[in-house]
Amino acid sequence: MDSLNLLLEGFNTALTPMNLLYALVGVTLGTLVGVLPGIGPAMTVALLLPITFNAPPASAFIMFAGIYYGGMYGGSTTSILLNTPGESSSMITALEGNKMARRGRAAQALATAAIGSFVAGTIATALLVVAAPAVAEFAITFGPADYFALSLLAFIAVSAVLSRSIVRGLASLGIGLVIGLVGIDAQSGQARLTLGVPQLLDGISVVIVAVGLFALGEALYVAARLRHNPPDIVPIGRAFLGRSDWSRSWRPWLRGTALGFPFGTLPGGGAEIPTFLSYAIEKRLAKGVAKEEYGKGAIEGVAGPEAANNSAAAGVFVPLLTLGLPTSATAAIMLAAFQQYGLQPGPQLFNHNPALVWGMIASLLIGNLMLLVLNLPLAPIWARVLRVPRPYLYSGIVFFAALGVYALEGSYIDLLVLFILGMIGYAMRRFGLPVAPAVIGMILGPMSEIQLRRALAMSVGDITVFVTSPISAVLIGLSLLALLTPLFRWYFGKRSRSRRPGPPAPAREPVDHK
Amino acid sequence: MSVQDQSGGAANSGAAPPTPVTRKWWRPELGFALAVLALGVFVLVDTRNVSATSLTGPGPRFFPMLIGAAVVLIGVFYTIDVLRGGHGDPEEGEDVDSTAPTDWKSLGLVSLVFLGFVLLVTPLGWVIASGLLFFGMATVLGAKHPLRTVAISVILAFGSYFAFAKGLGVTLPAGVLEGLI
Repeated sequence: MDSLNLLLEGFNTALTPMNLLYALVGVTLGTLVGVLPGIGPAMTVALLLPITFNAPPASAFIMFAGIYYGGMYGGSTTSILLNTPGESSSMITALEGNKMARRGRAAQALATAAIGSFVAGTIATALLVVAAPAVAEFAITFGPADYFALSLLAFIAVSAVLSRSIVRGLASLGIGLVIGLVGIDAQSGQARLTLGVPQLLDGISVVIVAVGLFALGEALYVAARLRHNPPDIVPIGRAFLGRSDWSRSWRPWLRGTALGFPFGTLPGGGAEIPTFLSYAIEKRLAKGVAKEEYGKGAIEGVAGPEAANNSAAAGVFVPLLTLGLPTSATAAIMLAAFQQYGLQPGPQLFNHNPALVWGMIASLLIGNLMLLVLNLPLAPIWARVLRVPRPYLYSGIVFFAALGVYALEGSYIDLLVLFILGMIGYAMRRFGLPVAPAVIGMILGPMSEIQLRRALAMSVGDITVFVTSPISAVLIGLSLLALLTPLFRWYFGKRSRSRRPGPPAPAREPVDHK
Repeated sequence: MSVQDQSGGAANSGAAPPTPVTRKWWRPELGFALAVLALGVFVLVDTRNVSATSLTGPGPRFFPMLIGAAVVLIGVFYTIDVLRGGHGDPEEGEDVDSTAPTDWKSLGLVSLVFLGFVLLVTPLGWVIASGLLFFGMATVLGAKHPLRTVAISVILAFGSYFAFAKGLGVTLPAGVLEGLI
C-alpha cells in the first residue's frame, strides 16, 4: 500500500497550522461563492491567482481545492432554497430539493445534501488515491501524439456534453482556442493575432479571460434582464436528519457516489450526466412513501444527485493530476495555476512533487470534514447570504473583477480586454453557448499545439503517427464518435418521434415568471 | 420571447419549430453565428502575415491555420443551424428573467460606467475611480438607498486600497490622492 504511505505523508503537509488555515479560508470562500449567484469557484480561483503567487504552491493548491469543493456545497444550498440554480450540476438537486423545502422540509434537504456530499466526497477522494497513481503509471507511456489526441477528445467531449447543441459548444471552444493563440509563439518567437498591440505579445492572461467571461459577462447579462421581484427564499432553521431520513438517504448516497466518480474521470467530465442518471435511478427504485413523494419532494432525489455531483468533482482530479487534462472550467484554471508555479501536471508530477500532490489530496479529505461542519449548523447563515441586495452583489462582483485584473499589470489595456471579453461572455449567455469550453480551449489549446508540433517534428511531418499509435488511434476514434452524436440523436429522434421519448434533459417545471 | 424549450438547437432542428414567433430570417443570433464565422476568417487571414520559419516540424502558422479552418467550419454549421430555426436557450440563473426582453438601457449604462472607470483609473487613482465604479454600477442596477450606496462605495474603495496596496503589496495607483493616503 504505497499510496497509503504517501497519503499519510500528505497529511503531514496538510495538517500544519498554516495549511489548515489555507484550507479553512478556501472552503469558506468556496461555500460563499457557491451560495452567491453570479459568481462561482472557477472565477474565484482565477481572481486569487495573482494574490497567491507568493504563497508556497502546496498551500495555494490546498486553498484552491477547498474553493472547488466548497463551491459544490454552496451550490446545493442555493438550488434547494431558491430553485433556479446557476450551475448546471445542481439543477437536478433543485427538482426535489426545492419542493422539499417548500413543504417545510428544507432542513432535511440541506442536511441530506451536505452529509451526502461529505460521504461521496470522502469515498471518491479515497478512490482518487487508488486510481490516480495507476493512471499516472499508464500515462508514462503516452507520447506527444497520444497527448494531442487526448486533448482533442477532451475538446470535443466537453463541447458536446456541456451544451445541448454540439455546434454551440464547439463555437464556444473555438472562441477559447483563438484567444489562446494570441501572443508570441514560444518556439519561433513570432507574434500571432496581436493586432500590433504590444501589450498582447505576452498573450491574454487566464485571469482576464476567466474574469471577463464569468464575472463581467454575468454582470452584463444580469443587467440586461434583471428579475425585479425579490428572490423567493425558503426560510430554514438548523439542518438535521431524522431517523427515517437517514435510512432513506444512505443507499442513494452510495449509489450516487458510484455513478459520479467514473463520469468525473472521463474527458467529457462534468457532473450533469451522473446527477441526472442518479435522479432517474432513484426514481425507478423508489417504493412506498418515496414513490408517492417523488416529484413532490422526495429525499432520495436530493441525496443521490448531490452525492453524484461531489463524487464527480473528485473524479475530475484524476485526469487533471495524472494527465494535465482539465475537464471543467475550475480544473482548467487550476491547471493554469500549476503553470504559474512552473509545474506541469502529468505522470511526472507524482514523482517530482509528491508533497504537493499528496498534500492536496489529503487536504481534500480535511476540507470535506470542514465543509460538513460549516454547512450543517451554519446553514441559516448561508441562507441569509442569499438575501444580499442584487445591485450591491453584482456591483461588488464587477468591483473585484476590476481589482483582480488591474492588480496584474496596472494596465488599462487589460481592463479594455476585460470589457471585450465581458461582452463576449454576455453574448454567449444570451445565445445559449456554454462558457466552460472557451476557458478549457484557451488553457489547453496552447498545450495541445506543443504536443502536436512535437509529434509531427518527431515523425518528420508524417501525420500517420496519430493512427499508428494505438492509444492515439482509439482516442481520435472516440473524438469522431462524439462529433457524430448529433447525427445519431437526429436519426433516433426521427425514428421515435411518434412515441416522443422521455425528455433527455431534466423535466424542469415551467418556471413561473410573473 | 423564446419559449421554455428542453432541447433547443441542433437536436430539435429536425422537428417542427416550437413556436412560429420568430419566422423572420434575421435574428440577433444569426449575427452572432456570422461573427463566429468571421472570427475564423480573421484567424486565417491574420496568420498569413506570420513568417513561417521552422527547422523542425510545423512552424508557427500550422496550428492557427488548423484552428482558423475549424472555426470557419463551426461558424458555417452554426449559421446553417440558426437559419434552419435552431436556437440556443438563454442561460438561466438565480437573478435572471430569461424570458424578459433585453434591457438595452441598463446594458448600455453599465458598459458606460465600466468604460468610464477604465478611462479614469490612471489619472484619478484606484480609490476614487473604483468608488465611482461601484456607486455607478449599483445605481444603474437599481440600488434603493443612495446614501447607503455611497457609504458602501467609500468603504470598499478605501478598504480595498489599504488591504491590497498597503497590505498585500499589490500596485494600485494613488492618483490625485497621492501623498494623502
